Amino acid sequence: MAGERESSVPPAHRDSDNGFWKTALSLGEPADRSHEGAQCGVRPLDWLIDIFGEDLGFWLGYLGNGKHLAWYASFRFTILAAIFGALIGLGFGLGGAGLLRARFRPLRIAGLAYANIVRGVPDVLFFLFFPLAFEQLVEWLISTQVCSPEAVAARAGSWPPCMEANWFLSTTEYLILASVSLGIVYGAFTANVINGAMNAVPKGQLEAARAYGFSRNQVFWRFQVRQMWIYALPGLSNVWMLLIKSTSLLSLLQIPDIVLWAERLGAPNFVPTAGLVHPDWRWRYYLVLFVFYIILTFLSERGFAWLRERVGRGVVAEG
Amino acid sequence: MKHILLAAAFAAAMTGGAAAQTVRLGTEGAYAPWNFVNDAGEVDGFEIELGNELCVRAALECEWVVNEWDTIIPNLLAGNYDAIIAGMSITDERKETIDFSDNYYPPDPSKFAVAGDSAVDFDAMSGLKIGVQGATIQAAYAEATFGAGNTILSFETADQSIADLSAGNVDVVLADGGYLDPIVNASGGALKIAGPDVMIGGGVGAGLRKDDDELEGKLNAAIAAMKADGSLNELIVKWFDPPNTF
Repeated sequence: MAGERESSVPPAHRDSDNGFWKTALSLGEPADRSHEGAQCGVRPLDWLIDIFGEDLGFWLGYLGNGKHLAWYASFRFTILAAIFGALIGLGFGLGGAGLLRARFRPLRIAGLAYANIVRGVPDVLFFLFFPLAFEQLVEWLISTQVCSPEAVAARAGSWPPCMEANWFLSTTEYLILASVSLGIVYGAFTANVINGAMNAVPKGQLEAARAYGFSRNQVFWRFQVRQMWIYALPGLSNVWMLLIKSTSLLSLLQIPDIVLWAERLGAPNFVPTAGLVHPDWRWRYYLVLFVFYIILTFLSERGFAWLRERVGRGVVAEG
Repeated sequence: MKHILLAAAFAAAMTGGAAAQTVRLGTEGAYAPWNFVNDAGEVDGFEIELGNELCVRAALECEWVVNEWDTIIPNLLAGNYDAIIAGMSITDERKETIDFSDNYYPPDPSKFAVAGDSAVDFDAMSGLKIGVQGATIQAAYAEATFGAGNTILSFETADQSIADLSAGNVDVVLADGGYLDPIVNASGGALKIAGPDVMIGGGVGAGLRKDDDELEGKLNAAIAAMKADGSLNELIVKWFDPPNTF
């Protein structure tokens, strides 16, 4: 196993003028690279090598190896967190806006507290705080049921109170907690946006609707809420952009996400047994993430433009 | 009624979970040849092969969890995994918080790596930038021994310290010999081992929670069996160059 991979050398670096790497890399340089496909988890397609030359074949093998496939697959975590974070955020936002607009004062105060406190706390901090606090709360609840006093005494001062109460969080649980954290944080922004948008619907229209005989409920749903989306969408698209950016924090919760893999893959490697020998390449991998987020931003802009047009249908825009 | 049913289901889930519980092994995945992520995207290395073999011998269902080095002890205590198998040296300081199995790698001298053309005077080290991986025995040693007249730089992973050494950002890297040797050999003269070997640490063992005596007993029995039949030495010879056998 150790010997087979000794030829992991990126061709681009064979004539690099960087002194150390030239020597470091030329050491493992293969005389015959025809067998190289085997060393990169997935075999590059031989016919491609015939057509495009062995450097392309090498890079296909490198970018197609299992480590990289795991990286590509990890994009699903980011996308799932963004989608579920946004849905949960919308839920919290609608709820929060409801609180902010409540007639009952304590509810209004609760809404204000939520919107202002959560908006003020840096998302990184909340991201670290909420899942941990939630996990320990659950573990504490379990411990009150399953822990014997002796077991608790034996582990005095350490957490969880007894090992039976330990709640193991795998990637799935962390992903759910991360989505909820994102939802809570961006729900606070959304609540504010929706509240503002509700206020922006022209009062005159609502009064006119009442005068035409629509009930309070009908006015609320068919006129205020229906038109609110037009005013809310620009703000919501902003919140969505912020949320997308926060999805890069997933690795803080031990989710092997795109950032973590980029860091791992880009980290320098010196031993041929551990794969391709290369210096610190992290910036190259981070660059790929830049491009990914830019594409995501671009697609989002298009999506929101389409949405704006849709919700604006049949509504006379009014200043 | 519903509550009772729920409670029963819950209790069943808890005890059922305990019976068929898998043992989770925590590793760093960034410390070749001890443990690293291979081209198939899976953890691999001396300790992975060793850990799998120990689990077979101890009849345990095992599963690997990758965790960053600097939080590897806290997350063991928090129950994210049940044992640390990550090239962790057995030290008295660590023994205050966790237990160790018997060593599965003999005490390994720590070594200094420098650039190939470097002329560091190891008898009078001062004004140097010394790179170590944070929270390692070498970090503690370097801080205590050279901290006064030199700058100690801690890196998140050992590979980052080597990257900075080859870039000229640090003058010396202090690390496990078993980790440095293959790198220096592969550098084709760009790096070299220099200065005295330093004996710190009492060999490498699996880190365990203090109250987990059952797992400790099973692992120790399996390690002893592998030492007795020579299979542990075979593994060491397979993965390390030069090997440091028992």
